[in-house]
Amino acid sequence: MAEITATISRPQRWDVPFDDKMDATAVDRLLAIPPFSRIDASQFPKSTPLRDILLNDTSLRSFRKGELIVREGDYGNSAFFIIQGSVKVTLGKDAIPAALLGRRETRKKNFLETLGQLWRNPSFPEVRDTARYQAARPGARRGDTTPPLPAPAASRHPFGRQAEARTGAVFLSDVPAVLKGGTATLTAGVFFGEIAALGRTPRTATIFADEASELLEIRWQGLRELRLRAPEIKQFVDTNYRKYSLENHLRETEYFRDLPPAELKIVADQTRFETYGGFDWHTDYKKNRDISPVERLRGEPVIAEQGQYANGLILIRAGFARLSQKYNHGERTASYLARGQMFGFKEIAHNWRTKESVALRYTLRALGYVDVLVVPTAIVEQYVLPKLAPAALPPPIVTAEEDDNPISPLQQVSGKLPTDFVEFLVDNRFINGRAAMLIDLERCTRCDDCVRACAASHDNNPRFVRHGQQLGSYMVANACMHCLDPVCMIGCPTGAISRDATGGQVVINDTTCIGCSTCANSCPYHNIQMVEIRDAAGELLLDQEQRPVTKAAKCDLCLEQPAGPACVRACPHDALARLNIRDTDTLAAWLQR
Amino acid sequence: MAATLRPSARRILVRTGLLAVAGAGAWAWQHHLTLSLHQTAFATGLALFATCLGLALFNSRKKLPFLPLLRAATWTQVHIYAGWFSILLFLFHIGFRWPDGPFEVLLASVFLLVAVSGVFGLVLSRTLPGRLTNHGENVIYERIPALRARLQRDVETLVLKSVEETKSCTIADFYATRLKGYFDRPRNFFHYLAWGQTPLKGILGEILLLKRYTNERESAILAELTEYLQAKENLDFQLAGQGLLKYWLFVHIPLTASLLLLGAFHGLYVFYFTGGLR
Repeated sequence: MAEITATISRPQRWDVPFDDKMDATAVDRLLAIPPFSRIDASQFPKSTPLRDILLNDTSLRSFRKGELIVREGDYGNSAFFIIQGSVKVTLGKDAIPAALLGRRETRKKNFLETLGQLWRNPSFPEVRDTARYQAARPGARRGDTTPPLPAPAASRHPFGRQAEARTGAVFLSDVPAVLKGGTATLTAGVFFGEIAALGRTPRTATIFADEASELLEIRWQGLRELRLRAPEIKQFVDTNYRKYSLENHLRETEYFRDLPPAELKIVADQTRFETYGGFDWHTDYKKNRDISPVERLRGEPVIAEQGQYANGLILIRAGFARLSQKYNHGERTASYLARGQMFGFKEIAHNWRTKESVALRYTLRALGYVDVLVVPTAIVEQYVLPKLAPAALPPPIVTAEEDDNPISPLQQVSGKLPTDFVEFLVDNRFINGRAAMLIDLERCTRCDDCVRACAASHDNNPRFVRHGQQLGSYMVANACMHCLDPVCMIGCPTGAISRDATGGQVVINDTTCIGCSTCANSCPYHNIQMVEIRDAAGELLLDQEQRPVTKAAKCDLCLEQPAGPACVRACPHDALARLNIRDTDTLAAWLQR
Repeated sequence: MAATLRPSARRILVRTGLLAVAGAGAWAWQHHLTLSLHQTAFATGLALFATCLGLALFNSRKKLPFLPLLRAATWTQVHIYAGWFSILLFLFHIGFRWPDGPFEVLLASVFLLVAVSGVFGLVLSRTLPGRLTNHGENVIYERIPALRARLQRDVETLVLKSVEETKSCTIADFYATRLKGYFDRPRNFFHYLAWGQTPLKGILGEILLLKRYTNERESAILAELTEYLQAKENLDFQLAGQGLLKYWLFVHIPLTASLLLLGAFHGLYVFYFTGGLR
């Protein structure tokens, strides 16, 4: 084995600032503008002072008229604040044809690069090109006391936002002609994009500059610190949401889509915001994993209870909820709801149509942190239901007394998945998975071709473990599920772990990862490994204190490979699949093959 | 009727039908060649060699998982049905009678071994995964030695504890004479391969007999020991089953390589003596 001699600087937060053009003058300018001018800088800890956040986590950006700022459907890792000018928000889904959005796909390896992996893969584990780290770190952490570093043009942020975002601006040349729906205008002093950035969700609208505008782009780590330390910013953002985004959110919901603007505004005004459970659901989940299912259920906050009258239509805005039904002394999980889904509509519609008063048939519980919007029943009855065509209304509810087909305890309660499988998915929070690795152990011959293929596609380092929670003959392996709510991203101090803008895959930027293990500790599924890295000669890399330098590593769904996830393609017995757990139809079809 | 079948059964039915059609087509083709006074052996031999070459490519595909060369599952299905087809071609090629020349006997034997090992592998891959899954905890093959060592450490700790706590050597004696060897290394490998009943039953019966010499605390320790025994038995079963699933390929693949070499030589040889290379 090679000797351990290589030494590099231990990576730090802000080694790679969001924009190296930000300097003390720009920060001073920001601090003179509300709401930043109203922030009490003394509320920030010494390790992350306000000025350093603005210096390292923000970027001043200029947009010309018609230039795209964010695209609907893209995953955003930053929010925007309009300093001057105005922007247009497109209303309605797919308001601008996708072809005009200039979306850039993640670069995939070409045939020769792909084939080259056969002989280029290093023979040592976790080998890295150490030159990359030095190029990304031309000096120490930038603070106000340090003059801006004159980074050479060639080495300037090869991995930062600039290289990713400033190449090739996209313009909408003839806006009225390309727009399918209407637009709303946002002017100076308004935040936008914060829901997608903080909620780790796709952008819900395309936004472009209405005139020459100057915007402040804030990396979500910085925005999170600002919201945490500065109540003014939090209040500002929340007020903005009700003012600008709620109507848009409602309009995206099936039953509200065709409401006239005046009525939609009434509905929005009457809508209540409610929050259940703790934001750090993953820590509670880890703690409660070993308690009995009954106790676990008891610990989940009830949003709406079976047997009660439906007081309102519940729209899930963020998080997950368990739908359960009483069964003798216990409760059976019928399904799970996530962002964008609703609860109580069938009962409300049934009662309105038949003048009966059927109570809620299921209990809705928060699985960790859940943000809901509640539209009062009276409002739904007055404005929404009369506008719907009879065919759009759900079929009448068959009450338990009328239903003479009793179901066994483990028979499916609703949908196509067996109840025990639904319980398994919900109890283990696999419902979060957008690309969970499911293995059919009745087919899997344990040949490990999947593991070998994964390693071959990742410089000889497998990025998952063929082991995990099991129900009957189905296993959810320890492979990154590219979650709907990737809690691994919450604590990342540098933004190294983020979503791919196009596909939403959760990826780690190896260059900006400082090896702090926050993501690995946050992942409730143990799907991120911390690995000790080596140079090309196979020597372990050490920092100045002679500690091994570590990096977070996990499955990236073979983002750069032209053929897609190697594990799926390599399985000779079709035993392995990457499935979106929310897509119950596909999941059921896979189970019943 | 087909509509009531599971999708997997329907797929098997369709593919078997296609294989039957291909087999019938091959028979008609070689029959036509015979009637038209052609040397069918050349044609069937070449077809057989090409099929074997195609079958062998599956292993190369496995080495290139990152290339868009169809899914390995598709390759497996093609491999299985093309494998059956190659057996038909082989039978047509030898004219349904065992060859008499020494080289031909060798070649036919190697083909037969490849075919038998392939069918054996197919049967294993269709029967063992379910048994492994239903038998006990699913473990990673490479981790089994470490798990076994940990299990043995835990058991020895438990046995020592029994002596300390109960001031009795009943369990310790039983461990030293009967169980130590069981925990020391993988056991009953061939027993599992032969689809035998669990050999643990005998030991568990002895534990039951031992209970007449134990007090309440010792009985509790024996119950714990029984769980360790079951865990060890599962490790042995997993080792045998997973080992078999991995290592049958170590017979099939080298034999295939030999078959291709011998087949190529056979082809060149025949070609030479029929004037092709002169």
